[in-house]
Amino acid sequence: MRVKKTAYTLVDKAISSGDVYNTAAVYGISDGRRRKLLENMVFSKRRELLRLASWAHTPTEVLQMLSDSDDSFVMLRLCKNPKTPSEALTKLYVKSFKGSSKGVNLTTHIAKHQHTLTNLLAIIIHVNEGLEILRAISQNPSANGQLLMELLSYSPQDEKYKVFDKSVASNPSASAEALKVIYDRGDAYTQAAVIAHANCPVLLLSLAESDSDVFVQRKLVCKCVKLDVLANLAENKDTAVRCGVASNELTPQSLIKKLMDDSSFEVRRRLAKRCDLQVADIERLMNDEDSWVRLWIARNKITPLRVLKVLSYDTCHEVRRAVASNPRCPVVLLEALAKDNNAWVRSAVAYQNKSPMRLLVDLAKESNIDVLSGVANNRHTPQSILQELALSSESDIRRGVILNRNARRTTLMPLLEDPYYLHRLMLVDNPMLNADDKLQLCEDPDFNVRFAAYSWFAGLEKSTKTWV
Amino acid sequence: MSTILVIAEHRQNELRPVTFELISAAQGLKKSADDKVQVAVIGSHAESYVTALSVNGVDEVMVVKSSVADFNPDIFEATLSALIESKNPTVVLLPHSVDSLGYAATLASKLSCGFATDVFIAEYQGDDLVATRGGYNQKVNVEIDFPGKSCVVMTIRAGAFKPLEGKASPVVTNFDLPAVQSRSQNKEYIELGGGNDIDITTVEFIMSIGRGIGEETNVEQFRELAETAGATLCCSRPIADAGWLPKSRQVGQSGKTVGACKLYVAMGVSGSIQHMAGMKHVPTIVAVNTDPGASIFTIAKYGIVADIFDIEEELNNQLAT
Repeated sequence: MRVKKTAYTLVDKAISSGDVYNTAAVYGISDGRRRKLLENMVFSKRRELLRLASWAHTPTEVLQMLSDSDDSFVMLRLCKNPKTPSEALTKLYVKSFKGSSKGVNLTTHIAKHQHTLTNLLAIIIHVNEGLEILRAISQNPSANGQLLMELLSYSPQDEKYKVFDKSVASNPSASAEALKVIYDRGDAYTQAAVIAHANCPVLLLSLAESDSDVFVQRKLVCKCVKLDVLANLAENKDTAVRCGVASNELTPQSLIKKLMDDSSFEVRRRLAKRCDLQVADIERLMNDEDSWVRLWIARNKITPLRVLKVLSYDTCHEVRRAVASNPRCPVVLLEALAKDNNAWVRSAVAYQNKSPMRLLVDLAKESNIDVLSGVANNRHTPQSILQELALSSESDIRRGVILNRNARRTTLMPLLEDPYYLHRLMLVDNPMLNADDKLQLCEDPDFNVRFAAYSWFAGLEKSTKTWV
Repeated sequence: MSTILVIAEHRQNELRPVTFELISAAQGLKKSADDKVQVAVIGSHAESYVTALSVNGVDEVMVVKSSVADFNPDIFEATLSALIESKNPTVVLLPHSVDSLGYAATLASKLSCGFATDVFIAEYQGDDLVATRGGYNQKVNVEIDFPGKSCVVMTIRAGAFKPLEGKASPVVTNFDLPAVQSRSQNKEYIELGGGNDIDITTVEFIMSIGRGIGEETNVEQFRELAETAGATLCCSRPIADAGWLPKSRQVGQSGKTVGACKLYVAMGVSGSIQHMAGMKHVPTIVAVNTDPGASIFTIAKYGIVADIFDIEEELNNQLAT
């Protein structure tokens, strides 16, 4: 059956289905009489109205339309829905003054909402309906540096307002000025949060260098740029601080050499992840008694091939798997690891993009679900094998075929009838299937699938105005 | 002086990690410095495991050469029976696994030993050995003691004890395999999904990762954290679909329901309906997500709006000290 072209056809189809989710999906492409009809359908069933107000997939235009509702429960759900747009939140704030008992509760959620406009947050601060509302703003990244500074000005007079310090210290919008205020009067935990902040000024980092508190040192070590400070921190008795030195990109080779002898395996694990290790260091770490150190070496993208070869015989199967997952792993090692006695290692070979077709054909003969899922996912797997796997009784394997970007239309077609709704849902966006193929999904027994299908057609309508 | 006997478990020429957890449990059962931990390894290539078993906490490794490479219930039962009669251990620790299910109960019954399965705490309370295991579908903890028993056989739950670190040089001895008529033989080795992985429906502490993890290398970071914290690492569907964790670790409608879980730490899991179907019953759910609107917060007992990598770093810092 050929798909008809116009948006009206799709909207009429949604209206005639009587399904509120189908309606929601096409609302954005409707207008005039049809849009009014859709609104009436949505508002006629309170239960569906409540569900749409809190549903994570409800389109923005529908959430905007729902903000016309005076139902306090719908309003509350809209304020809590992270997708609700700014204009709707402003409208809801204004309406919350109309004597509803849920006003304060609504305002708290609006103050928390990341789509709330900065201007509205400023008004909420000035109205000041209580500590909880102000605290919600202090945690909101939409609040700008100026608003956060204003909140901090409450603190000195009243102990209870000190809660703002901690939340502002972790708010990404906090300015250097605000952070300085907090650092000067904060406890060690708050100071540590300030040091970790992306906007922390250099001045505070310098101050922290002489701080002996371990919480501050742990954060400082991640941002430290001075080699003498790093050298001092490398001697620190706290393992986490030394781990920080081992992870710091600026740590020089001389310190790396020193940390190689660290008694803590945690420090050596951090070193093994570095991308600037020298070959001698890599060769030393590949023999470490801690299997995690060897694993990180096996995963490291700079590890030489001869080291990968040694690690491909490691006694720990997770290390061998790490070799198979390494993007640099050569085909010759993948061939050997494809015969590993551990299925989890073979599974890594099946998922590896570098695995050639002949290996995948062999692995497809296995019965292990992880191996077969990898084969189903791999872009080098021949279409004939994908077609067999699409008929597997294991849903995980069939899903692997759906996720394979190289699975062709003929391979995917039987999966449109898959018993698991999630699989049909995933096919809605698949570019290998055409609009004609997807039309049947508009009649799917599952509402999620129907909604996704209608949304897909509505999106197509918005972008091209024709479906065929 | 008393002896604690540990039976090493191996499969497909690889020692199973639970063996090292058993050694750790055995260390905790030493009542005096004179007490010894002996580890017996049985198989046709038993000697090949000696180096790996030479770890802290082991005083003696006993090599028992048998005719078959892998597990055989009759051989293990007969060998263990001979070892108990010869060495008089006070406690025998076996992994709680499909292997020990095949011979542990029979052995304990035949030798009139005390017996407890799926033990996750083993300790002395005064002079009394007490084993703790779950009861009533893991809803209560049951303490079991063994009055009058000179030897107690316990099967230990995987993941309950943290392995000890460091190498050692234990005494290595040979123990002769007793005469045994085996009634079974290995026909074929069929591996379950995830490589004989842990059964997540039976574990109590789960750390779970979702899409927020970003890329595969980060999975290893959280696997490391979970291991250090004593949790079992699980995941939501996209992680298993990407092949980053075995399908056997997937929680939810497409995966498994974590029936015995008491603490579930969800890292970067948004909380799709499908995922929550497998874990929403857990009494204590801790959710970490940067999105304050993530659905997972609707069922979490404790919610942390934060970057999972910051929390991971902080937990690592706490656990490293």
